[in-house]
Amino acid sequence: MIPSPISALHPSNRRTFLERSASGLGLAALGSLMSEGSATATVPLAGFPHKPIKAKRVIYLFQSGAPSQMDLFDPKPQMQAQFGKDLPESIRKGQRLTTMTSGQKGFPVAPSIFKFAQHGESRAWISELMPHLGTVADELCFIKSMHTDAINHDPAITFFQTGRQLAGFPSMGSWLSYGLGSQNRDLPAYVVLTSFGSGRPNDQPLYDRLWGAGFLPTQHSGVKFRNTGDPVLYLSNPPGMDRALRRDSLDQLSELNQHRHALVGDPEIEARIAQYEMAFRMQASVPDLTDFSDEPEHILDLYGPDVKRPGSYAANCLLARRLAERDVRFIQCFHMGWDHHGGLPKAIQGQCNDTDQATTALIKDLKQRGLLDDTLIVWGGEFGRTIYSQGTLTETNYGRDHHPRCFTVFLAGGGIKPGMSLGETDDYCYNIVQDPVSIYDLHATMLHVLGIDHNRLTYKFQGLDARLTGVEGAKVVKQILA
Amino acid sequence: MTFVFPRSIFAIGLCFGFVHSGLAADRVQFNRDVRPILTENCYYCHGPDPKHREADLRLDVREAALEEGAIVPGKPSDSELIARILTEDEDDLMPPPDSHKILKPKEKEILQRWVAEGAEYQGHWAFEKPVRPQVPAIQEAATPIDAFVLERLKTEKLGLSPATDKRTLIRRITLDLTGLPPAPEDVEAFVADASPQAYERVVDRLLKSPVYGEHMAAQWLDFARYADSHGFQTDSSRTMWPWRDWVIHALNENMPFDQFTIEQLAGDLLPNPTLSQKVATGFHRNHRINGEGGIIDEEWRIENIIDRVDATGATWMGLTLGCARCHDHKYDPITQKEFYEMFSFFNNIDETGVIRGGSNRTGGNPGPSIYVPDAEQQKTLAALTDDLTQAEAAVKAAEKTLPALLAAWEPKFKKDLAESKPQWEPLMPETVSSTGGVTFSRVEDGTYLAGGPTPAKATYVIEGAIPEGGFSGLRLNVFPDPSLPEGSVGRNSNGNFVLTRIEAEIRAPSLKQPLKLTFSEAEAVFSQKGWGIESLIDATLAKAAKRESTKGTNRGKGWAVEGTTRKEPNQAMVLVPDLVSVPADARITVRLVHDTLNNHQIGRFSLDWCSVPPQMVTLVGDGAAPADIRVILDLDPAKRSAKQKQTLTAFYRTGFDHPVKAADTALATARKKREGFEMRLPSVMVMQELPEPRTAHILLRGEYANPGDAVSAATPAVLPPLPEKAPRNRLTLAKWLVSPEHPLTARVWVNRQWERFFGKGLVKSSENLGVQSDPPSHPELLDWLATEFMQSGWDMKHLQKLIVMSATYRQSSARTHLPASLLERDLENRLLARGPRLRLTAEAIRDQALAISGLLDPKIGGPSVRPYMPEGVWDETSVYGDLRNYKPDVNGGLYRRTLYTIWKRTAAPPTMLLFDSSSRETCTVKRSSTNTPLQALALLNEVTFVEAARVLAQRMITEGGASAEQRLDWAFRRALGRPPDAHELSVLVAGIDRQWKRFQSASAEAEQLIQSGEAPLAANIAPAELAAYTVTANVILNLDEVLTKE
Repeated sequence: MIPSPISALHPSNRRTFLERSASGLGLAALGSLMSEGSATATVPLAGFPHKPIKAKRVIYLFQSGAPSQMDLFDPKPQMQAQFGKDLPESIRKGQRLTTMTSGQKGFPVAPSIFKFAQHGESRAWISELMPHLGTVADELCFIKSMHTDAINHDPAITFFQTGRQLAGFPSMGSWLSYGLGSQNRDLPAYVVLTSFGSGRPNDQPLYDRLWGAGFLPTQHSGVKFRNTGDPVLYLSNPPGMDRALRRDSLDQLSELNQHRHALVGDPEIEARIAQYEMAFRMQASVPDLTDFSDEPEHILDLYGPDVKRPGSYAANCLLARRLAERDVRFIQCFHMGWDHHGGLPKAIQGQCNDTDQATTALIKDLKQRGLLDDTLIVWGGEFGRTIYSQGTLTETNYGRDHHPRCFTVFLAGGGIKPGMSLGETDDYCYNIVQDPVSIYDLHATMLHVLGIDHNRLTYKFQGLDARLTGVEGAKVVKQILA
Repeated sequence: MTFVFPRSIFAIGLCFGFVHSGLAADRVQFNRDVRPILTENCYYCHGPDPKHREADLRLDVREAALEEGAIVPGKPSDSELIARILTEDEDDLMPPPDSHKILKPKEKEILQRWVAEGAEYQGHWAFEKPVRPQVPAIQEAATPIDAFVLERLKTEKLGLSPATDKRTLIRRITLDLTGLPPAPEDVEAFVADASPQAYERVVDRLLKSPVYGEHMAAQWLDFARYADSHGFQTDSSRTMWPWRDWVIHALNENMPFDQFTIEQLAGDLLPNPTLSQKVATGFHRNHRINGEGGIIDEEWRIENIIDRVDATGATWMGLTLGCARCHDHKYDPITQKEFYEMFSFFNNIDETGVIRGGSNRTGGNPGPSIYVPDAEQQKTLAALTDDLTQAEAAVKAAEKTLPALLAAWEPKFKKDLAESKPQWEPLMPETVSSTGGVTFSRVEDGTYLAGGPTPAKATYVIEGAIPEGGFSGLRLNVFPDPSLPEGSVGRNSNGNFVLTRIEAEIRAPSLKQPLKLTFSEAEAVFSQKGWGIESLIDATLAKAAKRESTKGTNRGKGWAVEGTTRKEPNQAMVLVPDLVSVPADARITVRLVHDTLNNHQIGRFSLDWCSVPPQMVTLVGDGAAPADIRVILDLDPAKRSAKQKQTLTAFYRTGFDHPVKAADTALATARKKREGFEMRLPSVMVMQELPEPRTAHILLRGEYANPGDAVSAATPAVLPPLPEKAPRNRLTLAKWLVSPEHPLTARVWVNRQWERFFGKGLVKSSENLGVQSDPPSHPELLDWLATEFMQSGWDMKHLQKLIVMSATYRQSSARTHLPASLLERDLENRLLARGPRLRLTAEAIRDQALAISGLLDPKIGGPSVRPYMPEGVWDETSVYGDLRNYKPDVNGGLYRRTLYTIWKRTAAPPTMLLFDSSSRETCTVKRSSTNTPLQALALLNEVTFVEAARVLAQRMITEGGASAEQRLDWAFRRALGRPPDAHELSVLVAGIDRQWKRFQSASAEAEQLIQSGEAPLAANIAPAELAAYTVTANVILNLDEVLTKE
């Protein structure tokens, strides 16, 4: 049984927390721990949560590069009859295009060459590209009516992660860390895992800012686990220094810092002592976390053979489950390689081979451990793709350009209604005809199931109450709430 | 309703901004007491922005509020405002419950009292010109600053803390002014100097030290969003370090802040600007530049200009101008129109706003940019320019002989032509193959079409027979094909190719070894800019191109043809210098090498070969003369048109040997030499005006594609007007910012200096002095400093000296002697009853470790360097751009000051980010200061700090004395400027003993630990001893006191 993180960190229990976290440091450290500039990011803001908590943590499976919705989840069989015909202007409606296709002479409709079938009791449409995912169809909640403002990757993924197309704003995980604090005293509140896709190995890059804290204090930044060397930067002691020796040196350090504290009385010193102790605990907790040797073979098999390759999407999914078990607040896996301007049929198969089994395994694995109930899973990219082919269209080959007007994401787990689909797109999978959901709406909904009123998760920046969900107004998507 | 305001409400209950000079029991003051309540709770809906205004009511203008009956001066009970904040009816309550804003009882009382007292408004203090206040007459005040601080403290019945001890003081001031710790000798000299001027002498020495400018520059780089990369998707390299060096130099020279401002915002518009003044304008080219495929140029040009407006507002005025991008500012009196009037000042740079083509991948400086030669280079450049001028004169002289030469040549050439045969013959390949699995199919027209996989790199190999006789070169014909990406000519997904080089060799039974052909001339019908055919044949040029591409000029390596847009046939030829004699039964092997860019291979091609002497060969046409020349030659000279005569002359002039051609060649060489030299000079992006300014428009909803009314350059009405006659350009804007009339610039700057030394500004929200800002803790001190700064001629060092000479700055930062009640009330030390105690900046933490260990390389300026970073730091999330495969420098670059570390924005130096540096993506005027476990891990384990510990340990042993106590004393003096006390000694000596014993029985571990870093290992120290001291030095470098300015 996982203790409720909120009650554990309720103000009345802060004494307990401090005693545990700071090796017996007393309440004197409280002021420092709570003040700007020295927070350990472990304590929720006053007044949080605002609402009942449906999900205690998030696993966000970000498919970077933008997967093609009409080849995966939003079937348009009626497009077969339109093969090669130009996209009608009545559909395109003068929309701006990227300069990759704006000079194209025509916009030939490229129907998906992949077969779709309905799965589960919910009769969810899933393409043959994702054979595993069909087996958990009834856990999923599709939103086929997502839309965004940006048409290029960098601004679009930045928008998704921070609510703004331009740099400088906090990522959603940082907002959660800031608002809700951490539930685990040995691990960061926000962990990022990255993997390269095999569908398009030289695909779109990722940027520090996507998990950055923006104008929030730095400790709310996502900690990106590395795929080479130490998973957390500088985790290992230098060669030649074992854990006992590190303990010995930290004892000396702590003794001298306490000695200084007695002389100058700055509570910041006590906070620093506590941080060194947490660092020491992380030196044990992180290797324990990333060591899969305690996973039985049938679990490894569930995630597929890739799971044994560190840095793969499958390995990251298993790691995400292990992070969820340890109550890390926000876990984000970025899988690159979905940007298929040309040769889409082959490239998307590579991407689905990378991800289908592992995504499915993660959902099953969480479910069998009872963790799916209070873990929110989100799967999706930064925008959608066009029905028309970028470059030459043949019977077996096509490419698709960026498309901001509609795309599909799916959610599962805590607080979300399983086995449903929201929103509809037109015949060309080009415009939304029902239930549009903006990125701000999605953010607001995610915050809602985490117990946060998105309007009240604010931070004073340059004199304004800045928030993740922007100024134009966002709405919680009530239809998908359990 | 009664209005009893016990003094205690003001003295304790409210935040310190309100607590002012014992006036609490006096009248309510709008700026101090009322405005913060209204801006926080009311102005969003009842403020300056008409689009969001509710019920047509605005409360920011007195007349409007009175007219609507919201306020009846002197009569709170008749005022709707008061009724609405007091009501218990949820429907009427203000602020409305769904705004989640709740007025505190005290705030309600203030508003009532304010209305009762007449509801007087005041302009926002920061928009009114600072007036120099009287320095309070406080006897014990050592300096004017202290008088203001003491006056405020006295209202709390407090005083300053005692002065800190000399060792702490010299460490504090040295870290503050230079970002480095004091040398132990300097500490001892200061301690020994009993004169009253001892401290001032230290301050003066530090202000003159060249490391001063480096430390001060670091913050300015945050404001300027300075970096070594472009910052978006590809994030390739750029060269802006000459601008960074300009900043260091200007700060070291104590350039007055007004000049510092004018040169950076408009140096190019000064009369006869110097190179240095042009370099200064790089300030507003430091923003990110997008190069992602598919972007719309104008969108990003607009974003860059908006970035400039934001950065100008934040850096100089402490205003959040960006809030008025999409609509009128919610709080400050700045309209959307005024935002775009400011925008207009920066809208006229001769730029595209994006980075394209090769530079986007391999790095470069999109224009406008200038070369920045140093003194020596300027001399060389002058000499090369002389050569060029002379060569030009020689050509002019030689040209006079051209008509006679031409007349003599024509008959002879006509005769040669009559006897010549076609120059290009198709090469009939017997095999066409490739590395990487590319397959070829022969098309009916004899061309070869590539198919199969598209590997990253591929070399096409073509083999065929070649007849006996002469050989002078190869012609490559490329063709578009519908099966290729984009229906173009190349195999990359965008339809382009890059041919890196052509290799060829001839084999024959009579040849012992294959005859390798060296091509010396090349020509193409069309080459993409920056991807000329010449790099295929000129090894020197190719090498230079490669070097340049890493340095950031617009040069690629290989031949490309803009296949993304030009989907048409193309031809290129490569020629040997002299006709090669081909023996009987010979075969030729041609290799088309593609190894510059991944996947960029030719899609469909054929090859021709040539037997005409190389001097006679032309790329296009059947004979030794193109068709148009033959036509001209056949005409009677008298009947030739002027254009035809020109064509023929050009053909002769360039194609045959004679004195004019020799002069032309000499000129081309001189030009190439000069250009080649220039290409190797560092360049820097600068601002440069278009001849005709662009028209700026209000952008509706802030969208680039949604222009509204045209606007012209102007400044916001709430601020002083521009001089009437002055041209509306950046120079006028810059001068306006630093005019004595401007209410913000000086205040913003002095406030930031206060923040630098004390951790918090007198206005805590140093990033924002607008209506939503925090009220100043010491408003009169702020204005006194601002006016003093301007009166001193914007003297930056003078201002800093004033601050650091104050008793306020020199107080002890210890809290142990202060009452707990004060500490609790004044966590942030806004009252200044104690000295500052602050964690060092990211840069200072690393620089200090290098300095303490003695590793620091003091070189100032130059290209950015590559110290240790985690393996793969640039590669875990990107395979784009030229900043990949990070390798630390092998010499020097490991130990330079941190502001020289290469900065790739999308994957910034990780340790810097851990210690709260900005990401340099946008203008950042304030950093947070956090305390995290990841920082602990970095300081404990990162090779930079472990190596510093090991080298410090070596020096403790070799220089510190014989005993552990002496060595620790030595190390403490280096690290902290003080000897260790008995307790510290006992803890660390015991530690050394334990560790030494441990390592004596664990020699392998000892050997490992002392291998950290590249610095040479001291000979003659037992590994166990050195390892033990390394552990201790690691503890010392992690002490809170070391990381902190006390």
